Amino acid sequence: MITPENTAQAPEPGKRDFLKLFLGGGIVAWLIAVCYPILAYLKPPVQSEVEVHSVKAGKLSAFEKDSGTIVRFGNKPVILIRTANGNLRAFSATCTHLACTVQYRKDFGVIWCACHNGKYDLNGRNISGPPPRPLDEYRVVVQGEEVFISQKS
Amino acid sequence: MKYLIYILGFFVGSNGLVFGQAQKPVDQCVSCHNDLGTAEAELFKHDIHFAKGISCADCHGGDRRATEMEQAMDKKAGYIGVPKGDQISAVCASCHSDPEKMKRYHSSLPTNQFENLKASVHGKLDLSGNNRIVQCTTCHHAHGIVSVKNPASPVYPLNTPATCGKCHANPTYMRTYNPSLPVDQLEKYRTSIHGIRNKKGDPKTAECASCHGSHDIKSVHDAKSSVYALNIPATCAACHSNAAYMKPYGIPTDQFEKYSRSVHGVALLKKHDVSAPACNDCHGNHGAAPPGVESISKVCGTCHALNADLFSSSPHKKAFDERHLPECETCHSNHEILPPTEKMIGTSADAVCSRCHSEKENEKGYVAAQQMRSLIDSLINEEAKAQMLVSEAEQRGMEISDAKFKLRDAHQAMLQSRTAIHSFNEEKFAETVKPGLATIAVVKSEAKGAVEEYYFRRTGLGIATLIITILAVSLFLYIRRIEKNGQRRIKL
Amino acid sequence: MKTLLRKMYKWIDSRVELDDLVKFMGKKYVPINRHSIWYYFGGVSLFLFIIQVITGILLLMYYKGSEDLAFESIQFIMSKVQFGWLIRSIHSWAANLFILAIFVHMFSVFFTKAYRSPREITWLTGMVMLLLAFGFGFSGYLLPWNELAFFATRVGTDIVGILPVIGEPILVFLRAGEDVTGGTLSRFFGIHVAVLPGIFTVLLTIHLLLVQRQGMSEPIDAHHDTERKTMPFFPNFLLRDLLFWLIVLNILAILAVFFPWELGKKADAFASAPAGIKPEWYFLFMYQTLRYLPAHILFVDGELLGVLLFGAAGVLWALVPFWDKKSSRGEQNRFVNYLGLFAVIFIIVLTIIGWLI
Repeated sequence: MITPENTAQAPEPGKRDFLKLFLGGGIVAWLIAVCYPILAYLKPPVQSEVEVHSVKAGKLSAFEKDSGTIVRFGNKPVILIRTANGNLRAFSATCTHLACTVQYRKDFGVIWCACHNGKYDLNGRNISGPPPRPLDEYRVVVQGEEVFISQKS
Repeated sequence: MKYLIYILGFFVGSNGLVFGQAQKPVDQCVSCHNDLGTAEAELFKHDIHFAKGISCADCHGGDRRATEMEQAMDKKAGYIGVPKGDQISAVCASCHSDPEKMKRYHSSLPTNQFENLKASVHGKLDLSGNNRIVQCTTCHHAHGIVSVKNPASPVYPLNTPATCGKCHANPTYMRTYNPSLPVDQLEKYRTSIHGIRNKKGDPKTAECASCHGSHDIKSVHDAKSSVYALNIPATCAACHSNAAYMKPYGIPTDQFEKYSRSVHGVALLKKHDVSAPACNDCHGNHGAAPPGVESISKVCGTCHALNADLFSSSPHKKAFDERHLPECETCHSNHEILPPTEKMIGTSADAVCSRCHSEKENEKGYVAAQQMRSLIDSLINEEAKAQMLVSEAEQRGMEISDAKFKLRDAHQAMLQSRTAIHSFNEEKFAETVKPGLATIAVVKSEAKGAVEEYYFRRTGLGIATLIITILAVSLFLYIRRIEKNGQRRIKL
Repeated sequence: MKTLLRKMYKWIDSRVELDDLVKFMGKKYVPINRHSIWYYFGGVSLFLFIIQVITGILLLMYYKGSEDLAFESIQFIMSKVQFGWLIRSIHSWAANLFILAIFVHMFSVFFTKAYRSPREITWLTGMVMLLLAFGFGFSGYLLPWNELAFFATRVGTDIVGILPVIGEPILVFLRAGEDVTGGTLSRFFGIHVAVLPGIFTVLLTIHLLLVQRQGMSEPIDAHHDTERKTMPFFPNFLLRDLLFWLIVLNILAILAVFFPWELGKKADAFASAPAGIKPEWYFLFMYQTLRYLPAHILFVDGELLGVLLFGAAGVLWALVPFWDKKSSRGEQNRFVNYLGLFAVIFIIVLTIIGWLI
């Protein structure tokens, strides 16, 4: 243990104080420089952890019947549809026409793209408007109360 | 000699036409049946086969020389009576599918009709399951067969619609094979330009076979069909792009060329997107005719519904109708519809708005066009800037997938604003653009934040390095001082 | 404040006789000679190991050792966790500097013959720790589950597989199956964070205790000096050690910020191997040698012979204190020097060749 008293006696008192000030201050600053990143690292990030293979969409009860919800899946949006009779289905929410984000239209009972009125049925098939291809389907798994969406392999 | 010929004739008479033409003997079938005055015999006199010296027995079998009915129509002599079902086509094909025989009659007809028929929709098995649905005689009839160029032929262009319509306009019959297939084609056809001209006696206008083919008719869902979505433009172009053929009608022949360059043509012909419109999607197929000026927005609106709705409720609707301007076409043209750009709107010389609007004329729209252009320009510029910031942050190795995700919204706002232009209303347009600009602002700030974070890391490193260096230097000085004081030991 | 510290010291001293230890430390002197600089590399290796432990524990807070999540979790650490990029980059860089430091440490000990009696155990534990460090590097390399790591692991474990009789079982044991899969990842993860650190810590404790107990070795020629210069271990040597550590820390921080460790593409077992698959640099000289060997040398598989030769050389190297009797007697042994020189040149040249090709 180094305490100022026990260490060697300096020839000039003025210089000693200056050097020890630097040394002590340096140690404190160094400790801060090391501890700050570590403490910041340990603070859990605001956004929950991203898993690209599957995402937790939320509680089953959060999805009303006859509704659609956009869920973020990695970098892409996925639309989770709960049909009027309670079935859950998930499709890529990226319109196959010009990559707008699609939504669920309760009044038509279809997946609808606001940009050019493209429509997909609840199996993701393009049924009207400009979309050239069906929406990619995702797998929905319900574990207890939790709804998970995962990529179809 | 005569004896020899007789024997030879007897030998081959029942099963072939090998010497029939060369010999021209007295044909007992014809002479008897003519005397009987049956309709078949009457018709057969005008038949092209009769003219070529082909006898009844060549199709029906039997002995054409025998004077007695029992002998002539003896099954032992190969008599088959009236051919039934597939037997009919087989009899026709025995010559028409044999290039050698056809050559002997100096015929230039193709010899693949029967093969084509077998592969066509009509070549499928009928209700009994024993025969094909359609035999040669179904369209060509049996005893009065004449050349397709002869107006008396049931497959002469002017007669084809009725011939096909015999079955295809009969709902009771069609239901037994394909209940979902419409039966109003003939009716629609008669309303089309093609059908009207056909009725008037113009054999050059398209009839059923012009588009569907004759022997090789395939289902519209068959990729090899001439009326499969991808093949339609070429099928129509076969006549409509033929300047010499179309000369009497005085209409342009560059539609196919223009269409191929258009956004629709590229989608269909290059990208093979079968949902992209082909000729028939706008002009109709059996009832093909150019859409009327007022109905253009409805026709385009079958796919471009939002644009059509916005247009119909816009101030342009009335203005266009009054001036008899074709709706969508006025700005977007018809066959050569190119992908629209933001340059179309505004008041510059290349903008379509400036064709009608100027500072002096229709000035209200002039102002609106100017404002909408500046809004969409700022949206595009801002999006590009945001994109640049995002890629700059990415290049610096920063993770900004969040901002990239939001950029999608900005892109969407851009696309929606292009649709919203058709309201030709600045306020409505601004409503679409504003959220996009707001999202872009967020993306930009996030991307800037990421770039700043990059520099923060370097500053942080600088500070940390400085601290460590100061510490190291003071430690070094400290050690030196200790050692200056000799090898003194330290007590705790 | 000071009286409180003194009281606390007294309290502990009365229970564990701390005074003896302090007296021992106080009496400890470190010889000063022209080879003194090499003494610090042991300390630097220790420091880097401590950094590895700390950053490793921090990474464990977010890392997920499964095929599905390993890559994504590191991506997450690098992007979402504050300073995650720093922690991971330091862990990766420190791993490499660690191996470099122990290489330097080992060769300095070898050339100064510090392994000679009575420090045979220190040398042996050090050699085992070098092997373990390789194990750390090899197992840790796979954990991000990226393309490069995946194929490097495939190639690396393949080499084990060519050993006769035991090769195949070891290969299956390492890979947790016939091929590199998610099972391999789990296994390597366990080895990297539990098995190796456990064994390493035990060996390190023995190593350090022996160094403290026996003091620093002096080169053979230094024995003949009439005047022996020394410096107190505490605080002089310790402070110098700390000074070195600070410099290393600074280098690490600069490397981590300016050359952040890449993550690359996620591993895909069905993708074709990317061009230029190479092992980590510290395996490169062995890898390159194996590549140069002909397919067959006198009916024996060339690669197998190479692996066996490296094994034999390693054993010979590890046992140097036992066959180099001359050094233990305090005599110069030029053969050992030449052998060491050959090893250094061999490793450097083949590493460079492997790096360039």
